[in-house]
Amino acid sequence: MSIVENKTFRLGVDIGGTFTDIVLLSESGQIHTKKLLSSPPDYSEAIEVGVRELLQDVGIAPGQITEFIHGTTIVTNTIIERKGEPIALVTTRGFRDVLELGRFRAPSLYDSSFRKLEPLAERRLRFEVTERVAADGTVLQPLNEDELEPIAQSLEEAGISSLAICFINAYSNGENEVLAARWLQQRLPHLSISTSSQLLPKIQEYERTSTTALNAYVRPVAERYIQSLQRRLTALGITCDLMIMQSAGGIVPGKVAAQNPVYIVESGPAAGVVGAQRLSGSLGVGNIMVVDVGGTTAKASLIEDGAFTIATESEVGGAAAMGHRLIQGAGYPVQAPTIDIAEVGAGGGSIAAVDQANGLKVGPRSAGAVPGPACYDRGGTAATVTDANLILGYISPSALVGGELSLNRGRAEAAINSIAEHLEMEQVTAAYGIHLIANSNMMRALNGVSSERGRDPSQYALFAIGGNGSVHGTKLADDLRMNTVIVPPASGVFSALGLLFADVEHQVIRTFYRHLHEVDPAVMTATLTAMVDEARRMLADGGFAEDRMDIRIVAEARYFGQMTTLPMTLASAEVTSDTVERCSTEFAESHLANYGYSSPHEKVQFVALKVLGRGLSDQPRVPKQLTIQRNYQAAEGRRPVYFGPDHGWLDTPVISRGNLTIEPRSGPVIVEEYESTSVVRPGWSVEVDPFSNIVMRRLAA
Amino acid sequence: MITAGTIKADPIKRELIKNALVTIADNMIALVIRTSRSVVVKNNLDFSASILNADAEMVAQGLSLPGHLGATGPALRGCLDHFGSDIQPGDILCNNDPYSGASHLNDVFMFRPIFVGSELIGFLSIIIHHTDMGGRVPGGNAPDSTEIYQEGLRIPPVKIMEAGKRNETLIRIIRTNVRVSDMVVGDMLSQMSSLVAAETEFRRVIEDYGVAAVRFYMSELIDYAERLTRQGIAALPDGTGEFTDWIDEDGAGGPPVRIQVRLTVKGDEAEIDFTGTSPQTSGAINPNRYFAVGLSLAVMRTVLDPTIPANAGFNRVVKVITPEGCFVNPRFPAPVGARGLAGFRVRHAVSGALAMLLPDRVGACVGGSEFALVLAGYPKGKAPFLTLEFHNVTGIGGGPDRDGQDGGPYGLANIANVPVEVIEAEGPVRVECYAFLPDTGGAGRYRGALGLVREYRLLEDEALIQLRSDRQINPPYGLFGGHPGAPGRIIMNPGTSEERVAPAKFIGKMKRGELLRAEMPGAGGYGSPLERDPAAVAADTRQGKISVANARSIYGVVTDDAGEADLAGTEALRAARA
Repeated sequence: MSIVENKTFRLGVDIGGTFTDIVLLSESGQIHTKKLLSSPPDYSEAIEVGVRELLQDVGIAPGQITEFIHGTTIVTNTIIERKGEPIALVTTRGFRDVLELGRFRAPSLYDSSFRKLEPLAERRLRFEVTERVAADGTVLQPLNEDELEPIAQSLEEAGISSLAICFINAYSNGENEVLAARWLQQRLPHLSISTSSQLLPKIQEYERTSTTALNAYVRPVAERYIQSLQRRLTALGITCDLMIMQSAGGIVPGKVAAQNPVYIVESGPAAGVVGAQRLSGSLGVGNIMVVDVGGTTAKASLIEDGAFTIATESEVGGAAAMGHRLIQGAGYPVQAPTIDIAEVGAGGGSIAAVDQANGLKVGPRSAGAVPGPACYDRGGTAATVTDANLILGYISPSALVGGELSLNRGRAEAAINSIAEHLEMEQVTAAYGIHLIANSNMMRALNGVSSERGRDPSQYALFAIGGNGSVHGTKLADDLRMNTVIVPPASGVFSALGLLFADVEHQVIRTFYRHLHEVDPAVMTATLTAMVDEARRMLADGGFAEDRMDIRIVAEARYFGQMTTLPMTLASAEVTSDTVERCSTEFAESHLANYGYSSPHEKVQFVALKVLGRGLSDQPRVPKQLTIQRNYQAAEGRRPVYFGPDHGWLDTPVISRGNLTIEPRSGPVIVEEYESTSVVRPGWSVEVDPFSNIVMRRLAA
Repeated sequence: MITAGTIKADPIKRELIKNALVTIADNMIALVIRTSRSVVVKNNLDFSASILNADAEMVAQGLSLPGHLGATGPALRGCLDHFGSDIQPGDILCNNDPYSGASHLNDVFMFRPIFVGSELIGFLSIIIHHTDMGGRVPGGNAPDSTEIYQEGLRIPPVKIMEAGKRNETLIRIIRTNVRVSDMVVGDMLSQMSSLVAAETEFRRVIEDYGVAAVRFYMSELIDYAERLTRQGIAALPDGTGEFTDWIDEDGAGGPPVRIQVRLTVKGDEAEIDFTGTSPQTSGAINPNRYFAVGLSLAVMRTVLDPTIPANAGFNRVVKVITPEGCFVNPRFPAPVGARGLAGFRVRHAVSGALAMLLPDRVGACVGGSEFALVLAGYPKGKAPFLTLEFHNVTGIGGGPDRDGQDGGPYGLANIANVPVEVIEAEGPVRVECYAFLPDTGGAGRYRGALGLVREYRLLEDEALIQLRSDRQINPPYGLFGGHPGAPGRIIMNPGTSEERVAPAKFIGKMKRGELLRAEMPGAGGYGSPLERDPAAVAADTRQGKISVANARSIYGVVTDDAGEADLAGTEALRAARA
């Protein structure tokens, strides 16, 4: 098939920890991919290089690119590398230290060496002003503007260019914050100001201050990055809008994202989940669990009835933690809505080690990209999960990144043997044990999004992405009693593809702290109407006509005092007493479904209102079919593969993904492709579908 | 690997089963957080989850509080002693009686037995600190009670669920006896439903590995932890460390309470001996033995490999001696409601003894006055309110190689503070200040964290106030020449004609508009302040954490508000002091 006949193309670019992944998608669904090393400190450089090469390889002109969508780790990188702008904070008198006091939670009970991250604004740059708002929004004390002049002078003296403003109870009424911002902006026209009530007006002063400070800290860096990337794209001749993926799964113009970087912390991982959601929707599969296994971590998320769950808070900058979604205190909290993704320190690079009582541990320490697993032959000697997978025959010594990276089996054996000797077991037993323990760590993430909420994984299909997702997929599915595993095309760079399936989406969020029986429908209607107007305005700014706007209204509710909320969908911004009554019934039903009980005589309370404005594109985001335009050919044949003590070593056929058909083929089979390998265990079959997904099914026993 | 009748431990299977069990415990925690009602559970995170074997020995735990862990086994033991074999599938056992193995009345222990056929495999456990259990004072933390009968509803070992059916009689009794009953019963429902959900997962593990293997590895995991603990202790130097710390007074007007610890490491075992500690007091701050043991073991753990599984294996290696009738092992019917405070002092004393033995590994005392506040009332025509919060800790002590971080969390009391905005949204209280107090961190080569202040103003006509704190006479200690943190203070209506200093512990009335200011102590310093790096002192003055005057008088450092250290001046000043 020639590509010339396709007139327009879309580009998705995702920057991960080590690599920059690029996917080019034609109107008819042809996929071209490119993977190259990222280029810190200016990440836009690798993008320019990679895009230019890919366009040349495929032979199309930059003018044929109609969309450029980007998933970026700029926020996390800025935090981890401490490359943000020195910031100052203005807060309510009496609360100068909120940002540094934090929440007094340690991620580990017995590790007395733990220190939390230092505050983003140092104490001398945290200023108090006289003002006060009550919890119900009443202004108890107007802002004393006279106190702002000395603060402005201090900001000038300290050379501060980015400022955060966060007042107590401003989630309830941001009037004083806005006045302070306006005054300071007039006085210091070049100052970049992030104001909590405008950024994300949610309750909890430390979390909101942290969110606002983080925004101020990253914003100048994000703005420079987006400008630099825009310049490079323009230089390449790509003239379409630069769009960025947000943590909640919608895309927004680069300029909007750069001003509110707290919304794009989990940009890349969100793209993977959105991609999985949209693609499985096209397949008619509504319930899936997405597992994304990379080199250092495994991430899991749940899609139910075609929808993913949104968490209302996350953390950024903490060290990779083992299996605990509950740990608080390791990083900076961010109150931005984020696709609910559980993460554990388990991936291909996870290191296996024996403790003093002959216990075998895998991870969370990782060999990373440098030195990498022992078999990479770059100086690493520790046994890793990838070394075990090589010995077990799951991955080929020559199959990684289409053979561009070859693996040294001797090094892997030496590393695994040192573990095996220590534990007085066979090499293959040790290797298989490492594989299984890595799996059991990954299951903690999968459990985190399913069983924790009373879901039964066997009712879901497993959607395996990331370089190692399809290596571990069928065993994970076996252990979780799941019956189907889907490995999408370009699974090793899937987030870059997922970017292209997302819609433009704006979120407007307001705290609305009220018992249901105390709600004044007129007040709620007014609040929602204003929010809907704002969402519509943002969509209109992006060029969407009225009939291309999809508006959704969600009220987050809970029993009075609960920590987490359940979303109640409202049909319109017009609220009547009936609406409230319906919310009450729906809440009870939802609580029963989610947590196994409802509690009729407890009070139900609204906590926040959310309006999602989605811009509908003229073309479907997911093409009618997908094909991979890469002529990677595996060295087909057979090799011995180990499937545990029940099966032992089996002489297993190895085939290229391109040679799979819609005709199911029984395992064991190894399917190899450019960026990944699928292990089809005995008792499973494998086929491809019209979207070029590899579909593995458990055979009836 | 099954040989005639016995199983040989396989390190791979052990790790897999351990991971599976810890995952279940984690999931129980997550479920409780998502569904619980009270600030003390959802924000303070004052609860724990674990899995025990059929002999009431702990096998695995989720993220939990050390204070709960010592009592989990004994509280289940109390239930088993009562029910014997009268336990069946679908039961949930419940116990909050400190004289039947539990801790204090607010900590309600629940256990779900897991059977395969008629064979009992083990128990799932969740402990929650409930906001109120009745008794003479809201929140159950009154330090001046004199008998446990005053402290609230004592639930001896009972079944709160029997064969899958909730014991509505018991729940009605609880509902009738506790304040904020919706909140308390709501939290109990959350506790029960989490246990029920976890059983399904536990059954999957049994299905995957088989009953025999799960039983075997539940016991092997305890042995494994014991082996690791022995190796860790063997690597410590043999010797004895002794330390004394004090509680200012017992809450009922009695004399200071002495906590005496003699910690001995010999070979691969350790002993923590409380002989020499004051006798039990008439007030309610007595910790019972289970609580004291759990906390002592937790301190020991901080110098061992943190990845050692937290289970009963640890208890076999570290012996804790608590003479009967002494403060840490009181006789019935001593009240124990406010024992949380004493639990801190137990940790501090054991940690001090450990520091004497391992001076290059253990730091000075954590800061804080074990501050706990209850404001409760029955406003006319409105729902009753109960604001309860703990702010035990202010930050950690200076260590052998670095400062105690300001606002740094203390893992051994991993309780979060409560957001000011949540307090204000949910109760008639305005918090007017929450900030560091300069010059309150214990001075030292490595200084302790700063103390802090929190101010509460009442917005209803009247409230009952119950306050528990300490450390006004015996502040958090420094080590090896380091200074103690500044002592705590409680002031009513500061800066007005009504200003008065209040005692550290009291029960009283608060009127509309009155303000309570709690100044909480800083942490202890480590090493002589005259040895502190002048640049570090200057940095502290620059950030307003140490005054220029104190930099000079305590640290011998000449500096100014801009935070520039005058090195020559400093050298001269320090030389003159030497």
